[in-house]
Amino acid sequence: MKPAPFEYVSPESEEEVLDLLHQHGDDARLLAGGQSLVPMLNLRIVQPEVIIDLGRCPSLAFISAENGTLVCGAMTRQMTAERSPAVRENCPLLAKALPYLGGTAHRNRGTVGGTLAHADRLAELPAVALALDAEFIARKSGSERMIAAADFFLTDLTTALEEGEMLHSIRLPRADGNHHTAFVEVGNRRHGFAIVGLAAALEIAADGTVAGARLAAMGVGAAPVRLHEAEQILVDGPAGDDTLRAAGEAAAQAIDPDDDIHASAVYRRRLTSTLVRRAVQEILGNEAGS
Amino acid sequence: MAVQDIPSEDSWKNVGRSIPRREDAWLLTGKGCYVDDVPEPPNTLHLGFVLSPEAHARIVSIDTAEALALPGVVDVLTGDDIAELAQPIHTSFLLEGHRDTFRDAIAREKARFVGEAVAVVVAENPYVAEDGVERVFVSYETLPPAIDLESAARDDAPLVHEELGTNIVLESTFATDGLDEAFAGATQVIKETFRTGRIAGVPMEPRGCLATIDRAGEELTMWTATQIPNLVKTAVANLLDHPESSIRVITPDVGGGFGTKAHFYPEELVCPALALKYGRPVKWIQDRREEILTNIHAREHIYTVEAGIDADGVIVAMRCNMMANAGAYSSYPFGATLEAVGGVRFVLGPYHIRNYGFETRAVASHTCPAGAYRGTAQPTAMLAIEGMMDRIGRAIGVDPAEVRRRNLIKPDQLPYTTVVGMHYRTGSYSESLERALEMIDYSRLRSDQTADRLVDGKYRGIGICCYTENSGMGVAAVRARGWSAIPGFDGALVRVASDGKVKAFISHAACGQGYYTSFAQIVADQLGVHFEDVSIVVGDTGLTPEGSNTFASRGTVTGGGAAVRACLVVADKMKRIAADVMEVSADDIRIEDGVAMVQGVPDMSMTVREIAEVAYSKTPHAMPEGQDYGLEATDHYDAGMPTISNAVHVAAVAVDPDDGTVEVERYVVVHDCGRVINPMIVDGQVHGGAVQALGEVLMEELVYDEAGQLQNATLLEYLLPTAMDAPMMDVEHIQSITDENPGGFKGLGEGGVIGGVPALTNAIADALSGIGANVNVNPLRPSRIADIIDAALGTNSA
Amino acid sequence: MSFSKVEVRLTVNGTEYVRSVEPRYLLADFLRHELGLTGTHIGCEQGVCGACTVLLDGRTARSCLHFAVQVSGSEVTTIEGVSADESLKPIQDAFHHNHALQCGYCTPGFVMTTVEFLKDNPAPDEAAIRRGLTNNVCRCTGYVNIIKAVAEAADNMPGGEG
Ligand code: FES
Ligand code: FES
Repeated sequence: MKPAPFEYVSPESEEEVLDLLHQHGDDARLLAGGQSLVPMLNLRIVQPEVIIDLGRCPSLAFISAENGTLVCGAMTRQMTAERSPAVRENCPLLAKALPYLGGTAHRNRGTVGGTLAHADRLAELPAVALALDAEFIARKSGSERMIAAADFFLTDLTTALEEGEMLHSIRLPRADGNHHTAFVEVGNRRHGFAIVGLAAALEIAADGTVAGARLAAMGVGAAPVRLHEAEQILVDGPAGDDTLRAAGEAAAQAIDPDDDIHASAVYRRRLTSTLVRRAVQEILGNEAGS
Repeated sequence: MAVQDIPSEDSWKNVGRSIPRREDAWLLTGKGCYVDDVPEPPNTLHLGFVLSPEAHARIVSIDTAEALALPGVVDVLTGDDIAELAQPIHTSFLLEGHRDTFRDAIAREKARFVGEAVAVVVAENPYVAEDGVERVFVSYETLPPAIDLESAARDDAPLVHEELGTNIVLESTFATDGLDEAFAGATQVIKETFRTGRIAGVPMEPRGCLATIDRAGEELTMWTATQIPNLVKTAVANLLDHPESSIRVITPDVGGGFGTKAHFYPEELVCPALALKYGRPVKWIQDRREEILTNIHAREHIYTVEAGIDADGVIVAMRCNMMANAGAYSSYPFGATLEAVGGVRFVLGPYHIRNYGFETRAVASHTCPAGAYRGTAQPTAMLAIEGMMDRIGRAIGVDPAEVRRRNLIKPDQLPYTTVVGMHYRTGSYSESLERALEMIDYSRLRSDQTADRLVDGKYRGIGICCYTENSGMGVAAVRARGWSAIPGFDGALVRVASDGKVKAFISHAACGQGYYTSFAQIVADQLGVHFEDVSIVVGDTGLTPEGSNTFASRGTVTGGGAAVRACLVVADKMKRIAADVMEVSADDIRIEDGVAMVQGVPDMSMTVREIAEVAYSKTPHAMPEGQDYGLEATDHYDAGMPTISNAVHVAAVAVDPDDGTVEVERYVVVHDCGRVINPMIVDGQVHGGAVQALGEVLMEELVYDEAGQLQNATLLEYLLPTAMDAPMMDVEHIQSITDENPGGFKGLGEGGVIGGVPALTNAIADALSGIGANVNVNPLRPSRIADIIDAALGTNSA
Repeated sequence: MSFSKVEVRLTVNGTEYVRSVEPRYLLADFLRHELGLTGTHIGCEQGVCGACTVLLDGRTARSCLHFAVQVSGSEVTTIEGVSADESLKPIQDAFHHNHALQCGYCTPGFVMTTVEFLKDNPAPDEAAIRRGLTNNVCRCTGYVNIIKAVAEAADNMPGGEG
């Protein structure tokens, strides 16, 4: 398992990166933290002619907060984000989901933009981005556009980024429910690749009822899925276990998962339902406790 | 004074102590030397194997031109090229019902499983070797494959080896007299089928091999990650037709074996063959994908057991029908015998069963060859018998621990010979059960259980496994199994050097068991020297005596036995020398802590170093009459039939009905491996084995699709337990010393897995028994557990 | 295909090395075969097993998931470097006394992971230790003794704070 030969370039400015991308198009791959890409290179599943290393381009690594909207440069290391007070303050769901990404060694090197642009169906951050209606800032030579999370993840390992386009940063707008969040997942072992994961953010009214809900599941399809029906039930239903159960069931029905060697489709539905209940219970439990 | 052959009880001083290991000094600091760490000689060639992407296909043509044109690629060889250098891998079996298969080191004509090598690229470095592999173009004619056990066993299944006319590569039956009558006398017959998933050892170090040839083109030296250096040496000699005396096989540090590395593999033939061909060093390091695709698999078994019981739940007659998926080729040196022959014998466990019959079959298929993985067939055999014990309990309404009590071999029945000829000399079957139940507070756990087993939202269950472990096979044992390529004995050379320091050379290979420490404890005690003054050499056929090496929990019994015997000879000689020098009777001399003392004469003594100086003529004092110079002895020890260890594992688990996950809440082990050499090392073996069992029960499975593609040939998808999955456990020891070998040792390397698989499976089965679920498969991943719960409750989906 | 080599400059365990290698050359291979630092092991080349873990500019990283050229200019610490550092001795001592290694193949990776873990978590409980180690695979020990060793090392590190 050794990678095929490639040409290596390490531009030091964003302009250079975009020029190189423009020049090489699909023959090039961007190397961010490498925690997803390098395994594929080692297995020779991908064999780009050129590797454009973003690691020496400091302008892509930043975290800022503007009126509660968190902006995260694509090359922000996951560990940096996890430890950032700005992230914890403005986007606690992201802070909660990050520890589920591999181990410390992976997050020390892996980047926020890297995992999002890689768009593995079992990755956590795409579900977070979808739940929070994140905005993806994509740049190519001479232009910039914004892609909504709902439009960004097309299928497994495929995003809406076009040839020559690079993910520059993501904006996580402050949702009202932003401060009542949970990230839960279950896998075939206690830590590692999940079978299903769920990102949840709830808006809790003064009387303790759910005023708004954002739920997104991963592992239930080729891309993360927003669970609108379940969200609606949580907002409309009376507080209590029946509503939770109904929301879970609605979530299970809203998805169309596959069977694979790790789990059956039936199980993925069951798990989605369970995780909706768990996530909401966790949030409400914390609410009650705080 | 004759040389004693059994050491005195009071000679054991270091043995029995948890001495921290010596090998840690290098393994902990990055100074370990695994095969890929051996300094690479200049001009080394690197190999890359082209693997078949087809499970069953005719090789129509192989185009090597583009690979050969690549700068750095030296050569590309096909199966036909290799066939000119090496004979097919094969051993014959002294066993009725075994059909031998032949395996070309590189496939010719046909590929028989995904991952089988069909060509090899020889290159200047490993990166280029892989570039070359990508540029070898093989055209195949796809043929229908036989993949899973039951399909492969069907009469109309595609044949793996056409010349055999069948996929059944081993079949064997047995029945005691009057079995049918015994069944007729049973008050009821309980029948169950147990299915277990294919898994593998997956040691953290994949395999690898470096072969060099001396300048005369004669002396072949191989470094290889193996548990069986001596057997590799013999295989290479026979298959390359190279003098065995001119082959030296070295196993440096080995990063885990678990039986995986107790097989001879094609690459271990190709590397030396090409070293001889090119007169250059040849190296190959396996990657993880190759490791999972091509290293020995195991445990794809089906057992159907019928137990006839009396009104008290005592088994009066039993039948066992077993099938094991043997994969595409018989492994070397075990053939297809390992699992199918073992399972139907081990299934009797520690139980008194006098009427018994079996039918067993090993079935060839277009999958990776199967063979040894820690425990071989014992974890599944014990799963079958222990599963039956629980079912008997449920059938007659008696606690499963009590069912076991009624069926266990009683202390006064020892020594005991099972109806299939296994000898149980000493053991603590009932005692270890009672102690384990006490440790886990069994009666309280049971009384806390509700009828539906649901406590605080989780199903809670308890699982027990009482088992026997086959260890220390000697010559008679390997012959009885039909293995002609394994000598059966092991050797030790013990040498006291002229400075009084001791080196012992033992025919075993270390892959984590702590031999550098535990063998030194034995030698120190039996020579009467300080532990610090003993060093151990293993894993080098150029230095150690001949032997059969490290598999099937043989190390302490066969290697330890040989070491004890050699030590006793050397100790005797030391006493004679000391007696001569001090002018006393040798019978009055006792050697302890490196000093020979005369009984009753406190101020008279001589150090081992002074004795050694006499033996090596470094002092004016001549050797006593009739004694040769030198101070060493070599022993080749035959341990005969297997020595049987025993233990009990009890697990308490909680199954979450919402997500199908299992948590091990409590885990206890009472372990009896005779004399314990180093308790800390034994506990470590038990922990490691039990967590492998947890992997086997909860997550691990190698899954082939119908076309024979392995679906999870990476560690991302073949899950191994990690620190968050592993339970803490309490381990206690009982020591039923045996007189079957000089040290009174029993093997223990596999026990953790053997006990763990049934204990954990039974615990989950018990947890789900309250809702009427029947659990008879492994592995039990959350998805499957959820399915089982759904089926039992008649629910479906969320 | 291009075989052009690039210059890599790395400070490993305090010593600066300059070598010319192909861009695709993995950091793990660079350490092992260019520098002869074979204590860093390779178990999967996919980032899963942790046997290749090193410290890259003071934080753990999988050396199988980096190209040497990509980290040129960085500082790398390997197990050989840790072994020479007296202040980290309690970790290896605890592994030794608790029998937290068998074949030793995973061990350098566990030690490197523990070095960082104890810096981040000077007084961890058992659950935290398990979480901290969960991305390193050991096939031999069943983790029981590794968990004990890390707990003991935490108690014995100089100053209690790494
Ligand atoms: S070799 Fe790098 S994580 Fe396994
Ligand atoms: S000690 Fe062998 S893999 Fe951990």
